[in-house]
Amino acid sequence: MSSQLPATAPANASSAPSARSTPTVPPKPRNHVRTAFIAAAFVAFTVLACTPGIGGVDIDLGAFVQHWRNGWNKFVQLLQPNFAFLPRTVGPMLETLQMAIVGAFAAALVSVPLTLWAAKPTNPSWPVRTFVRTVINVIRSIPDLVYASILVVMVGTGALPGVLTLFLFDIGIIVKLVSEAIDSSEHGYMEAGRAAGGSQLQINRLTALPQVMPLFANQWLYVLELNVRISAILGLVGAGGIGRLIEERRSFFRYDDVSAIILEILVVVIIIEVISNLLRRRLV
Amino acid sequence: MHSDAGRAATGSNPAAAPWHIELDNVSVTYPNGTRGLRNVSMSIAPGEIVSIVGLSGSGKSTLIRTINGLVAASEGTVHVGPHEITSISGSALRRARGGIGMIFQGFNLAERTSVMDNVLVGRFAYTPWYRSLFGLHTQADRDLALRALDSVGMLEKVWSRAGALSGGQKQRVAIARALTQEPQVMLADEPVASLDPPTAHAVMADLQGINAERHLTVLVNIHMIDLARQYTTRMIGLRAGEIVYDGPTADATDAVFEEIYDRPIQARDTLGDDPVDAASLGEHP
Repeated sequence: MSSQLPATAPANASSAPSARSTPTVPPKPRNHVRTAFIAAAFVAFTVLACTPGIGGVDIDLGAFVQHWRNGWNKFVQLLQPNFAFLPRTVGPMLETLQMAIVGAFAAALVSVPLTLWAAKPTNPSWPVRTFVRTVINVIRSIPDLVYASILVVMVGTGALPGVLTLFLFDIGIIVKLVSEAIDSSEHGYMEAGRAAGGSQLQINRLTALPQVMPLFANQWLYVLELNVRISAILGLVGAGGIGRLIEERRSFFRYDDVSAIILEILVVVIIIEVISNLLRRRLV
Repeated sequence: MHSDAGRAATGSNPAAAPWHIELDNVSVTYPNGTRGLRNVSMSIAPGEIVSIVGLSGSGKSTLIRTINGLVAASEGTVHVGPHEITSISGSALRRARGGIGMIFQGFNLAERTSVMDNVLVGRFAYTPWYRSLFGLHTQADRDLALRALDSVGMLEKVWSRAGALSGGQKQRVAIARALTQEPQVMLADEPVASLDPPTAHAVMADLQGINAERHLTVLVNIHMIDLARQYTTRMIGLRAGEIVYDGPTADATDAVFEEIYDRPIQARDTLGDDPVDAASLGEHP
C-alpha cells in the first residue's frame, strides 16, 4: 500500500491507508530562472543603495568602531532601570493615555462621514470623492512629529497639540483603510435601496453604515493602540505626556530612569493591546 | 406558507390602482459596447402577471431594470403608470421608484442589520432625508413594515439579523421590503434561482398571491419553464436582447421554449419537483 504513495509523503502512508490507487498529481509549475532573477535584482538594488559614489547612502562602519564605547556606557545604564523613579511617571503616563483616548474618540466620530465620502460605493460622485481622498492623502503624508512641532508653536506646549496630532494622524489611517475596504466589498443591498427610491444618504445611513461598522470598529481599536505608542514620543517636541519626561531624564543623562519609563510604556502598550483584542473579538 | 394572516393584513392601500408598463422601441447599449436590448416594445396592462423567459445573457435583467431606471435606456421610452421613466431623474425618479417594488435573485439584504431596518428600506421614497439621517421612522411606516412582514409569515423574525436567516426567509423579507413601499408594480429578477424547489414554489405562490389579492402588476424574470407555466398568465420570450415570443402562457408549447432558448429543452430548464402542498398554491395549467 505504502509503496503506491509518493516517496515525499511517508507520514501519510500509515495514517491513511487506502485501497484506491494514488491520484496522478500534475507537476507543480516551477520557475527557477525567475526566482533567481528576482533574488539577484534584490541584492543588486541593496548594494547600489549603499554605494555613495552613485548617490547611495554612506554607511561608515569605522565610526561604529571608534565610538562604540560611548553607546556601551549608556546601554549598561539602561540595563539597570531605576524603579524608584516610577511614582513620578504616573501623572505623565495618565496624560499620555488621556491624549490617546481623546484623540482616537474624536477621530472615530469625524472618520464616519469622511470615510463614506471617500469610498466609491457610498459616494458615486467622483469630484467629491477625489477631493476628500486628496485632502486625506495630504494629511497622511505629513509625519506626526512635524504636526506636533508645528502645533506646539501654534497652541503652546502641553496635551492639546498632542491630541490634535493624534487626531490628524488617526483620521488619515481610518479614512484610508476603511474606505479601501468598503471599495473592495460587495454591496448588493444598495441596488435594493436604489430600486426602492432611496437617496445615497438614506442608503448609507440605514444599510451601509451597519454593514461596514465592523470595518470601522477594527480600525478604531487599532488607532487607539497606535496612539499610546505615538503619544509616548510626542513629548520629545513638547506635546505633553510621558515623552516629555523621557526627554527631561535623557537630558540629565539619567538612562536608568529612562529605562524604567520604557518598561512602563511596554507594559501599558501590552495591556491596551490585550483589551483591544478582547473588544475586537466581541465587536467584529 | 402564504397564509390567511396575509390576506387579513392586505388592503392597506385599496384605492391605488395598479400601473401599466409600456416600452416603446427601447434599446440599451452598455458603455463597453455590449447590446443589452434591441428595439424592445411591449405593453403590459394594469394587474397582469407576466413572466419574462430567456437564457442568461438574453437581456432579462436589463429589461426589468429599464422599468425602474436602474439601467438607463439608450434609446426609446419607458412609461410606468403616470411616470415616463426615461425622461426623469433625481427626486422625480426616486418618487416613481417608490411605486415600483423589486426583488432580486441574491435577495440584496443588508445582512448585518435587523430584518426591521431592511424592511424599512421600502419607505425610503416617502421619507424626508432628515428623518432617515436620525433614524426617526414614523409610526405609520413601522406599522406598514410590520404588516408586510406578517403577510409573508416573517413577523416573528422582525428583530433577527438578516444574515442569520435561510435563503427562503431572506427572499420573504425582501418581498416584505417591496410590499412596504405599497407599490403599484412588482418586479422580480430571477427570484427563485437561488432557492430549493419547495421554497421556490412558495415564493412564486407569494408573487401570485400579491398579484391576485393586492392587484399589483407583476413582472417575473425566470428561466424555469414549469414555474413560468404554473404561476403566470402571459409570457414574453427574450433571445439576444430581442422579443421573440409574446403571448398567453397556455399557448407556450415546448416548441416555443426551444425557439426562445435556441436549443432543445434540457432537464435544468425545469424545476422538476411538484409543490409539496400543491392544493394551496393555486391552479395548475
